[in-house]
Amino acid sequence: MDPSEVEFLAEKELVKIIPNFSLDKIFLIGGDLGPFNPGLSVDVPLWLALNLKQRQKCRILPPDWMDVEKLEEMRALERKEDAFTPVPSLYYMEITKLLLNHASDNIPKADEIRTLVKDIWDTRIAKLRLSADSFINQQEAHAQLDNLTLMEINTTREFLLDSLNFMFKLRSNLQPGSSKGQLTDY
Amino acid sequence: MFVTDIRKDFYEVVANQRVALLVAADIDALCACKILQALFHCDHIQYTLVPVIGWQDLSTAFLEHKEQIKLLIKQDDDLGVPSYDDIFRDDEEEDDGSGNDSDEGSEPSGKRRRFDEVRSISRRCRKDFLRREILFDYEQFEFHGTSAAMMFFELAWVLTKDTKDMLWWAIIGLTDQQIHDKITHMKYVTDVATMQRHVSRHNHRNEDEENSLSIDCMRISFEYDLRLSLYQHWSLYESICNSCYTSSSFKLWTLNGQKKLREFLADMGLPLKQVKQKYTSMDMSIKENLRDVIEESSNKFGMKEIRIQTFGVHFGFQNRFLASDMVHATAALLESTEKEESDIAHNFIKALDSLSRGNLDRLHVGIDHAKRKLLAIQQTVASCICTNLILSQGPFLYCYLMEGTPDVKLFSKPLALTLLCKYLLKAFVHSTRNKRCKLLPLIMAAPKDVEKGTVIVAGIPPESETSDKKNFFGRAFEKAAESTSSRTLHDHFDTSIIELKTEDRSKFLDALITLLS
Repeated sequence: MDPSEVEFLAEKELVKIIPNFSLDKIFLIGGDLGPFNPGLSVDVPLWLALNLKQRQKCRILPPDWMDVEKLEEMRALERKEDAFTPVPSLYYMEITKLLLNHASDNIPKADEIRTLVKDIWDTRIAKLRLSADSFINQQEAHAQLDNLTLMEINTTREFLLDSLNFMFKLRSNLQPGSSKGQLTDY
Repeated sequence: MFVTDIRKDFYEVVANQRVALLVAADIDALCACKILQALFHCDHIQYTLVPVIGWQDLSTAFLEHKEQIKLLIKQDDDLGVPSYDDIFRDDEEEDDGSGNDSDEGSEPSGKRRRFDEVRSISRRCRKDFLRREILFDYEQFEFHGTSAAMMFFELAWVLTKDTKDMLWWAIIGLTDQQIHDKITHMKYVTDVATMQRHVSRHNHRNEDEENSLSIDCMRISFEYDLRLSLYQHWSLYESICNSCYTSSSFKLWTLNGQKKLREFLADMGLPLKQVKQKYTSMDMSIKENLRDVIEESSNKFGMKEIRIQTFGVHFGFQNRFLASDMVHATAALLESTEKEESDIAHNFIKALDSLSRGNLDRLHVGIDHAKRKLLAIQQTVASCICTNLILSQGPFLYCYLMEGTPDVKLFSKPLALTLLCKYLLKAFVHSTRNKRCKLLPLIMAAPKDVEKGTVIVAGIPPESETSDKKNFFGRAFEKAAESTSSRTLHDHFDTSIIELKTEDRSKFLDALITLLS
């Protein structure tokens, strides 16, 4: 899966906006949206929020979890625990990136939030790498990891699966009975 | 077409149509174009962008597109239109005496008095006479009104779609008018005050103690900054040597001038080594109070107006630009004479791109070009004055750049040539002892196209403290060309710049002398 596909899926998440135009309820395939009234907040999918923001038709409100203190707590918790802690949102990384790139003027303390989310991401990816490493070293048959997000899984998926495949091929050549110690051509 | 309410009569009319945008090759027009483009993007209005550099281009573009579209919007600096919002009535029934109350203050009362006197003549005859009179006065002087970029920013503001980017472009458009000497100082200061209100409005919107804005957001600030071109992207020494104001006040083409410059630097306590370094690498202790220190010393050396009101922008950790830096960079890109880039549309698009925040590398290329342009101007000015190339022809001063002059290709473009004229006149006024010569206007000619054998001629009004920047050379050039049947091309939007065949140069000049004396 491509990271941009994951981002596309993330854009379905709902965010609160305050439009400056008025429009009746609109009926889309994915669901109903609206009605839009200037000055009143309304929940819309992220893709629509970004489009409206770029056309200067709305103001985006940061999600509840996008707050400096809450993120600091989460980061501390993540660093303390060995396992993965519950995430603020299933698509926290993508939402942060999109909102901070296109609507950073609507988000207070945007720079600190960017740093905090990056810290949380780095800690989790490091844990993921450690656990993949121990999985391979101890030659486990299966593993279970809770609280992972799609983006994190997607980061390791290709490498992990390819390396497991390759190791399987190498191991099967070491078994006695295979063609006299010659490696099968890959 | 004159509009009174820009929102109703203009924007709402074009909102559902396809628009052709014909933009002149001028920084103010470029900025106005950017603002309009941003507005069109917001509202999904389709448009075609056509750069035009003269009346011929304008008519060809119009003919090309006229089948497809119904409404035409042309924008360039308001040439000779005293007040954009007044409606000029030209109907048979109406009195056209009322139409020109937008004109210079003393005119209307004079016309109305004459109107009463000639009441006895038949109506049509009188109307024609008056109309011709008014038109002659209207077209005699050419001067510039409010910046087009500022007009479009006001439109955006009325539509509440104004952003900091648009505000910055409007500021650049205004600064362009000031740098290329198109508006009076009073008008500039008034317009700066208007823009300052918008800037404070934008700055108070998001900024307060707990919720500080991301460093990547654009911050525009009002600055009372030095009149040294590009000094933050160059070394202080180079900037002082190559800025019009300082170099003509010190007379840096003379040895005495160089000595005075060194005295000036010593007076401020700035070591030569520091001052010749890139500005960003100068010591922090020097940079802290630089503006005040320079202002104090300049007062001692007779430069009372070293500081000027302007705006600066700041985004990211590294990027600080003043409005004048952007104007110089974009003008240099627009008129770039590099071999690969001599296509007009190409340069136009490059210059347009450099105005966006995302294209900083293009902007830096522009700044480099601008530095070379300023250096070339300085050297040309120095050589012209030292070799006495400026001749007094009676009613005006005249200077001709020979073909072999270094960097003469740069001056085949109108903006660069006008800048050179301005600097040259200022330097000449400071260097000559002849009192009468100080009040003369300047005409400058430079080779434009060697194969076709044409020169480009530009005229600027005399240098004076209270000048109202009215330029009468447009009509003067036309009349002189008619009377000598010289082969001229009055194509440029700025009527004081024309193209002329090299062979007709001398008789054209003689005609001008007789006309203006």
